[in-house]
Amino acid sequence: MSNSNKQMVEPSIITREFDAPRQLVFDAWTQVEHLKNWMFPQQGFTCEYVSAEIKPGGTSLHKMTAPNGHEMWLLTKYEEVNSPDTLVFRQYMSNEAGDILPNMQMPNWPKEMRATIKLEDQNGKTKLQLIWQPIDPTKEEAEAFEASRAQHGNGWGAGLEQLTRYLGTL
Amino acid sequence: MARAPTTFDSFNAIAEPRRRAIIESLIGKEMTVNQVVETMGWNQPMVSKHLGVLKQVGLVSERKQGRYRVYKVNAAQLKPIQEWVIQFEQYWMNSLDHLENYLNEIQSIEVKDE
Repeated sequence: MSNSNKQMVEPSIITREFDAPRQLVFDAWTQVEHLKNWMFPQQGFTCEYVSAEIKPGGTSLHKMTAPNGHEMWLLTKYEEVNSPDTLVFRQYMSNEAGDILPNMQMPNWPKEMRATIKLEDQNGKTKLQLIWQPIDPTKEEAEAFEASRAQHGNGWGAGLEQLTRYLGTL
Repeated sequence: MARAPTTFDSFNAIAEPRRRAIIESLIGKEMTVNQVVETMGWNQPMVSKHLGVLKQVGLVSERKQGRYRVYKVNAAQLKPIQEWVIQFEQYWMNSLDHLENYLNEIQSIEVKDE
Protein backbone atom coordinates (compact mmCIF):
# COMPACT_ATOMS: atom_id res chain seq x y z
CA MET A 1 0.00 0.00 0.00
CA SER A 2 1.52 3.31 -0.99
CA ASN A 3 0.90 6.50 0.86
CA SER A 4 1.87 9.73 -0.90
CA ASN A 5 1.39 11.71 2.30
CA LYS A 6 3.88 9.61 4.19
CA GLN A 7 5.65 11.67 6.81
CA MET A 8 9.26 11.14 7.74
CA VAL A 9 9.72 11.32 11.47
CA GLU A 10 13.00 11.01 13.29
CA PRO A 11 12.72 8.31 15.93
CA SER A 12 13.27 9.21 19.58
CA ILE A 13 16.07 7.24 21.18
CA ILE A 14 16.96 6.67 24.81
CA THR A 15 20.28 4.93 25.53
CA ARG A 16 21.13 3.27 28.83
CA GLU A 17 23.83 0.97 30.15
CA PHE A 18 23.01 -1.77 32.60
CA ASP A 19 25.49 -3.60 34.79
CA ALA A 20 24.04 -6.99 33.88
CA PRO A 21 24.62 -9.64 31.20
CA ARG A 22 22.69 -9.16 27.97
CA GLN A 23 20.66 -12.36 28.32
CA LEU A 24 19.37 -11.29 31.71
CA VAL A 25 18.38 -7.85 30.41
CA PHE A 26 16.57 -9.49 27.50
CA ASP A 27 14.78 -11.89 29.87
CA ALA A 28 13.75 -8.93 32.02
CA TRP A 29 11.85 -7.59 28.99
CA THR A 30 10.32 -10.89 27.92
CA GLN A 31 9.48 -12.90 31.03
CA VAL A 32 6.51 -11.99 33.20
CA GLU A 33 8.23 -12.95 36.46
CA HIS A 34 10.76 -10.19 35.67
CA LEU A 35 8.45 -7.70 33.94
CA LYS A 36 6.02 -7.42 36.82
CA ASN A 37 8.84 -6.19 39.05
CA TRP A 38 9.85 -3.17 37.03
CA MET A 39 7.44 -2.29 34.19
CA PHE A 40 5.72 0.69 35.79
CA PRO A 41 6.35 4.42 35.49
CA GLN A 42 6.61 5.48 39.13
CA GLN A 43 7.66 4.08 42.48
CA GLY A 44 4.71 2.91 44.50
CA PHE A 45 2.89 1.50 41.48
CA THR A 46 2.16 -2.18 41.22
CA CYS A 47 2.17 -4.11 37.98
CA GLU A 48 0.23 -7.23 37.15
CA TYR A 49 0.22 -9.21 33.89
CA VAL A 50 -3.14 -10.82 33.18
CA SER A 51 -1.94 -12.35 29.92
CA ALA A 52 1.40 -12.69 28.20
CA GLU A 53 2.25 -14.38 24.95
CA ILE A 54 5.59 -12.78 24.30
CA LYS A 55 6.47 -14.02 20.82
CA PRO A 56 6.09 -12.59 17.30
CA GLY A 57 2.37 -11.96 16.71
CA GLY A 58 1.58 -12.44 20.39
CA THR A 59 0.20 -9.93 22.87
CA SER A 60 0.40 -9.17 26.55
CA LEU A 61 -1.98 -7.22 28.77
CA HIS A 62 -0.85 -5.67 32.01
CA LYS A 63 -2.37 -3.47 34.65
CA MET A 64 -0.52 -0.77 36.52
CA THR A 65 -2.08 0.45 39.74
CA ALA A 66 -1.13 3.82 41.19
CA PRO A 67 -0.82 4.35 44.96
CA ASN A 68 -4.19 6.19 44.86
CA GLY A 69 -5.83 3.13 43.30
CA HIS A 70 -6.02 4.52 39.76
CA GLU A 71 -5.66 1.68 37.25
CA MET A 72 -4.12 1.88 33.81
CA TRP A 73 -4.11 -0.98 31.33
CA LEU A 74 -1.57 -1.42 28.56
CA LEU A 75 -1.83 -3.80 25.65
CA THR A 76 1.44 -4.79 23.99
CA LYS A 77 1.63 -6.42 20.55
CA TYR A 78 4.94 -8.11 19.88
CA GLU A 79 6.43 -8.06 16.39
CA GLU A 80 9.96 -9.40 16.87
CA VAL A 81 11.34 -11.34 19.81
CA ASN A 82 14.94 -12.24 18.99
CA SER A 83 16.83 -13.43 22.05
CA PRO A 84 19.15 -11.95 23.24
CA ASP A 85 19.34 -8.68 21.36
CA THR A 86 16.15 -7.40 19.72
CA LEU A 87 12.57 -6.84 20.79
CA VAL A 88 10.00 -4.94 18.71
CA PHE A 89 6.53 -4.11 19.97
CA ARG A 90 3.62 -1.68 19.83
CA GLN A 91 1.95 -0.56 23.01
CA TYR A 92 -1.56 0.82 23.45
CA MET A 93 -3.64 2.24 26.26
CA SER A 94 -6.48 -0.22 26.67
CA ASN A 95 -9.26 -1.29 28.99
CA GLU A 96 -9.19 -4.42 31.13
CA ALA A 97 -10.52 -6.49 28.22
CA GLY A 98 -7.57 -5.41 26.09
CA ASP A 99 -9.69 -3.18 23.82
CA ILE A 100 -7.57 -0.30 22.57
CA LEU A 101 -8.80 3.07 23.82
CA PRO A 102 -8.84 6.03 21.46
CA ASN A 103 -7.17 9.12 22.81
CA MET A 104 -10.03 11.58 22.93
CA GLN A 105 -8.09 14.48 24.33
CA MET A 106 -5.30 14.38 21.78
CA PRO A 107 -6.80 13.56 18.39
CA ASN A 108 -3.52 14.40 16.68
CA TRP A 109 -1.29 12.25 18.86
CA PRO A 110 0.13 9.36 16.76
CA LYS A 111 -2.33 6.44 16.83
CA GLU A 112 0.41 3.86 16.70
CA MET A 113 4.00 3.80 17.85
CA ARG A 114 6.60 1.10 17.34
CA ALA A 115 9.19 0.55 20.05
CA THR A 116 12.43 -1.26 19.29
CA ILE A 117 14.71 -2.48 22.07
CA LYS A 118 18.27 -3.21 20.97
CA LEU A 119 20.75 -4.79 23.36
CA GLU A 120 24.50 -4.79 22.85
CA ASP A 121 27.00 -6.72 24.92
CA GLN A 122 29.79 -4.47 26.19
CA ASN A 123 32.28 -6.49 28.23
CA GLY A 124 29.67 -8.02 30.49
CA LYS A 125 27.62 -4.85 30.69
CA THR A 126 24.68 -4.25 28.39
CA LYS A 127 23.95 -1.18 26.33
CA LEU A 128 20.24 -0.70 25.68
CA GLN A 129 18.71 1.48 23.02
CA LEU A 130 15.01 2.21 23.22
CA ILE A 131 13.88 3.57 19.88
CA TRP A 132 10.34 4.65 19.26
CA GLN A 133 8.66 6.02 16.20
CA PRO A 134 5.10 6.75 15.06
CA ILE A 135 3.81 4.30 12.44
CA ASP A 136 2.61 5.96 9.20
CA PRO A 137 1.78 9.23 10.96
CA THR A 138 -0.37 11.92 9.38
CA LYS A 139 1.18 15.38 9.10
CA GLU A 140 -0.58 16.45 12.29
CA GLU A 141 0.58 13.36 14.14
CA ALA A 142 4.16 13.88 12.99
CA GLU A 143 4.05 17.46 14.28
CA ALA A 144 2.58 16.40 17.60
CA PHE A 145 5.31 13.80 18.02
CA GLU A 146 7.99 16.36 17.19
CA ALA A 147 6.48 18.76 19.71
CA SER A 148 6.64 16.17 22.47
CA ARG A 149 10.36 15.65 22.11
CA ALA A 150 11.96 16.88 25.29
CA GLN A 151 15.23 15.18 24.46
CA HIS A 152 16.42 17.03 21.43
CA GLY A 153 16.78 20.64 22.45
CA ASN A 154 13.80 21.96 20.54
CA GLY A 155 11.24 20.60 22.95
CA TRP A 156 10.08 21.62 26.36
CA GLY A 157 13.46 21.21 27.97
CA ALA A 158 13.73 23.00 31.29
CA GLY A 159 10.27 24.41 30.72
CA LEU A 160 8.79 20.97 31.12
CA GLU A 161 10.33 20.55 34.55
CA GLN A 162 9.02 23.95 35.53
CA LEU A 163 5.62 23.04 34.16
CA THR A 164 5.65 19.72 35.98
CA ARG A 165 6.47 21.44 39.26
CA TYR A 166 3.75 23.97 38.62
CA LEU A 167 1.12 21.38 37.77
CA GLY A 168 2.20 19.38 40.78
CA THR A 169 1.20 22.26 43.05
CA LEU A 170 -2.37 22.45 41.70
CA MET B 1 -14.07 32.93 8.32
CA ALA B 2 -10.91 32.37 6.32
CA ARG B 3 -9.93 28.78 5.66
CA ALA B 4 -7.85 27.57 8.57
CA PRO B 5 -4.52 26.12 7.38
CA THR B 6 -4.45 23.62 10.23
CA THR B 7 -7.04 22.23 12.57
CA PHE B 8 -5.44 23.11 15.85
CA ASP B 9 -5.69 20.88 18.83
CA SER B 10 -3.65 21.52 21.92
CA PHE B 11 -0.80 19.41 20.70
CA ASN B 12 -0.10 20.98 17.37
CA ALA B 13 -0.79 24.38 18.87
CA ILE B 14 2.37 23.78 20.88
CA ALA B 15 4.24 22.23 17.96
CA GLU B 16 5.43 25.78 17.22
CA PRO B 17 8.43 26.54 19.50
CA ARG B 18 7.44 30.22 19.94
CA ARG B 19 4.08 29.17 21.33
CA ARG B 20 5.77 26.87 23.81
CA ALA B 21 8.01 29.77 24.83
CA ILE B 22 4.95 31.96 25.41
CA ILE B 23 3.31 29.29 27.56
CA GLU B 24 6.49 28.91 29.58
CA SER B 25 6.68 32.68 30.09
CA LEU B 26 3.08 32.72 31.34
CA ILE B 27 3.47 29.89 33.84
CA GLY B 28 2.50 31.09 37.30
CA LYS B 29 1.76 34.68 36.27
CA GLU B 30 -0.59 36.84 34.23
CA MET B 31 0.70 39.19 31.56
CA THR B 32 -0.68 41.70 29.08
CA VAL B 33 0.24 41.41 25.40
CA ASN B 34 2.75 44.22 25.89
CA GLN B 35 4.39 42.45 28.80
CA VAL B 36 4.72 39.30 26.69
CA VAL B 37 6.18 41.44 23.88
CA GLU B 38 8.76 42.86 26.30
CA THR B 39 9.59 39.50 27.84
CA MET B 40 10.03 37.69 24.54
CA GLY B 41 11.48 40.58 22.54
CA TRP B 42 9.22 39.82 19.55
CA ASN B 43 6.95 42.23 17.73
CA GLN B 44 3.40 42.70 18.88
CA PRO B 45 1.61 41.21 15.82
CA MET B 46 3.60 38.00 16.20
CA VAL B 47 2.82 37.73 19.90
CA SER B 48 -0.87 38.46 19.26
CA LYS B 49 -1.04 35.86 16.51
CA HIS B 50 0.42 33.11 18.71
CA LEU B 51 -1.67 34.12 21.72
CA GLY B 52 -4.70 33.90 19.42
CA VAL B 53 -3.94 30.29 18.50
CA LEU B 54 -3.28 29.37 22.13
CA LYS B 55 -6.57 31.00 23.12
CA GLN B 56 -8.42 29.18 20.34
CA VAL B 57 -7.42 25.78 21.75
CA GLY B 58 -7.98 26.92 25.33
CA LEU B 59 -4.35 26.74 26.44
CA VAL B 60 -4.42 30.37 27.53
CA SER B 61 -7.34 32.45 28.64
CA GLU B 62 -7.75 36.22 28.84
CA ARG B 63 -9.62 38.58 31.11
CA LYS B 64 -10.14 42.31 31.02
CA GLN B 65 -8.34 44.39 33.58
CA GLY B 66 -9.17 48.06 33.10
CA ARG B 67 -8.04 49.01 29.59
CA TYR B 68 -5.93 45.88 29.17
CA ARG B 69 -6.44 42.22 28.54
CA VAL B 70 -4.32 39.97 30.68
CA TYR B 71 -3.43 36.44 29.65
CA LYS B 72 -2.78 33.39 31.76
CA VAL B 73 -2.09 29.72 31.18
CA ASN B 74 -5.11 27.48 31.45
CA ALA B 75 -3.59 24.70 33.53
CA ALA B 76 -6.51 22.29 33.09
CA GLN B 77 -5.88 22.20 29.34
CA LEU B 78 -2.13 21.81 29.76
CA LYS B 79 -2.40 18.85 32.05
CA PRO B 80 -3.30 16.25 29.40
CA ILE B 81 -0.39 17.44 27.27
CA GLN B 82 1.96 17.23 30.16
CA GLU B 83 0.72 13.72 30.85
CA TRP B 84 1.35 12.66 27.26
CA VAL B 85 4.77 14.21 27.14
CA ILE B 86 5.59 12.54 30.41
CA GLN B 87 4.19 9.29 29.17
CA PHE B 88 6.68 9.08 26.36
CA GLU B 89 9.76 10.63 27.90
CA GLN B 90 9.41 10.21 31.61
CA TYR B 91 7.46 7.00 31.42
CA TRP B 92 10.30 5.12 29.76
CA MET B 93 13.06 6.95 31.62
CA ASN B 94 11.44 5.97 34.92
CA SER B 95 10.68 2.43 33.83
CA LEU B 96 14.32 1.97 32.80
CA ASP B 97 15.37 3.23 36.26
CA HIS B 98 13.22 0.50 37.75
CA LEU B 99 14.73 -2.07 35.42
CA GLU B 100 18.21 -1.02 36.53
CA ASN B 101 17.32 -1.26 40.23
CA TYR B 102 15.66 -4.59 39.66
CA LEU B 103 18.63 -6.05 37.78
CA ASN B 104 21.01 -4.88 40.51
CA GLU B 105 18.78 -6.37 43.15
CA ILE B 106 18.38 -9.83 41.63
CA GLN B 107 22.07 -10.07 40.79
CA SER B 108 23.11 -9.26 44.34
CA ILE B 109 20.73 -11.98 45.57
CA GLU B 110 22.28 -14.47 43.15
CA VAL B 111 25.77 -13.64 44.42
CA LYS B 112 24.66 -14.21 48.02
CA ASP B 113 23.16 -17.57 47.06
CA GLU B 114 26.42 -18.85 45.67
